[in-house]
Amino acid sequence: MYVKSHILKNTFRDSVYLMRLSSTIREFDGVIEAESIVGTDHNKKFLRSGGLWTEEIEKDAGANDMIIAVKAENEEKAEQAIQSALDELNKQVDRENLLGDFVPRTFETALQNFSGANIALLSIPGRHVRREADKVLDAGLHLMIFSDNVSLEDEIALKQKALEKDLLVMGPDCGTAIINGTPLAFANEVRQGKIGVVAAAGTGLQEVSSLVNNFGEGISQGIGTGGRDVKAAVGGVTMVQGLKALLNDSGTEVIVIISKPPDTEVTEKVLDIAAESKKPVVVNFLGGDLDQVRAAGCEPAETLKEAAQKAVNILRKKDADSGDAALKADQKLAGSEKGRFKKGQKYLRALYSGGTLAYETLILLQDKIGPVYTNLSYEYAETIEDVYKSRVNTVIDFGEDEFTQGRLHPMIDPSLRNSRIIEEAKDPETAVVMLDLVLGYNAHPDPAGSALEAIKEAKEITVQEGRHLSFVTTVCGTDEDIQVRSEQVAKLEKEGVLVFQSNADAAVFVAELLSK
Amino acid sequence: MIVQEAKIMENLFNIELKVINMGLEGFAETLKERGTDVMHVRWQPPAMGDDDLLNLLDKLK
Repeated sequence: MYVKSHILKNTFRDSVYLMRLSSTIREFDGVIEAESIVGTDHNKKFLRSGGLWTEEIEKDAGANDMIIAVKAENEEKAEQAIQSALDELNKQVDRENLLGDFVPRTFETALQNFSGANIALLSIPGRHVRREADKVLDAGLHLMIFSDNVSLEDEIALKQKALEKDLLVMGPDCGTAIINGTPLAFANEVRQGKIGVVAAAGTGLQEVSSLVNNFGEGISQGIGTGGRDVKAAVGGVTMVQGLKALLNDSGTEVIVIISKPPDTEVTEKVLDIAAESKKPVVVNFLGGDLDQVRAAGCEPAETLKEAAQKAVNILRKKDADSGDAALKADQKLAGSEKGRFKKGQKYLRALYSGGTLAYETLILLQDKIGPVYTNLSYEYAETIEDVYKSRVNTVIDFGEDEFTQGRLHPMIDPSLRNSRIIEEAKDPETAVVMLDLVLGYNAHPDPAGSALEAIKEAKEITVQEGRHLSFVTTVCGTDEDIQVRSEQVAKLEKEGVLVFQSNADAAVFVAELLSK
Repeated sequence: MIVQEAKIMENLFNIELKVINMGLEGFAETLKERGTDVMHVRWQPPAMGDDDLLNLLDKLK
């Protein structure tokens, strides 16, 4: 074994880029372990503990430098890997030309050189957000904060400041938004239209906006609030601002609100405003009280799909419940899948990348298939002790902190989930593996292709052992997304994977499939 | 209140977005490829990410 390093002085790359480069280097021939990382003291300790340590790192690497460290089978392979990593970096330099000749280092410089800027998108480490966000708001720009780990105190202060200045703060931890037809961060390419959405649930907004598109209508605005906005401490500031803005927006005819059940006072505040609205409002408080929504004169939706379908129906002046709004499992298909399971195969292993989708599945499976263990917080499910080991029926969100510390989000890098697919296949009690494939900007370029590599391997295992494993999936996205939904679906179906129109359809099918 | 939010509508909903992106370059690249007017800031932690120095700077503020 041989460890080699390369230091790039005064070179900075963002964390996602560095993690991507690290995984690329690990794939190179003969490489055992590799990291590309900024040379901070913390990171140097990490390299030392991981056995990726050289004298050069000790002596030469500082907090302004980038380190590439490789452990390989021998010196030659290590050198080759470093060289290939440098080639990758050069490719990146070419890509940078896309960003233009001028790439400023500070917000102030950007502002001076970019007149008319009206929104800032922040994806810097959470502890630095307040400092930069204050500058953005002081300059009169709206703000979307993708970063997580922003303190509650900072969120409250920023949102109060924004309120005083008539500005919108989406986030922190806001993964997706669509403003004036422009998808920001992890959003899908959807048609512009007359349905406006305010969402405190990231993949919830992606699912609803994609389904509205796939049902033939479009989105006027998709405002993300960040999940904590609907807590009493924050008071739903962004949700209320967003809702009122949509009520006043002549381009919006129907409004959809999506959130986990907000704290009581926020629910009341939001529903009070909706009650006075002349525009129809569809509300999906995932697992929340439908009667309370109905009493406010709004249209309650139990699932994300139902929210999208009802909004489309109302816009088309049809009865909200007409068409496909109600979910029904295909009993014939469920029956034939059931018949293929071997004795002892009885459990679900749902491996999610989208938190809201995983949460919706927990709601739909409640009391349907026996106890469900999860790493999400849901009062009617059991908390899983070891997130790396499934138990009975299990729903895991790979986007939770325990899986994303120092790693890319599973929507970008599904490798951790892929290994888990294979692990689940080895368990003779697994009957169904459920997956969500989330398309859109900044997501993996081919989620179906990546999942299929693992699915094929999993199938080899089960076939050898005479079992049939049912793969149930949902593909969240549109044909206009760069990954093209219909092509992703075709690829999966070709390999015998069951693909559903929405996450709710997939969950209802699983409930039918595994019902006693 | 309604008047306030009407302002958000005027100055965000009815205009072409001009985005300042700070942090992940990928977000700026996808916007650019899509034709959105965007300026990327290659943001770096102040005080070179040195926590002690950063705390000191905060105290000086």
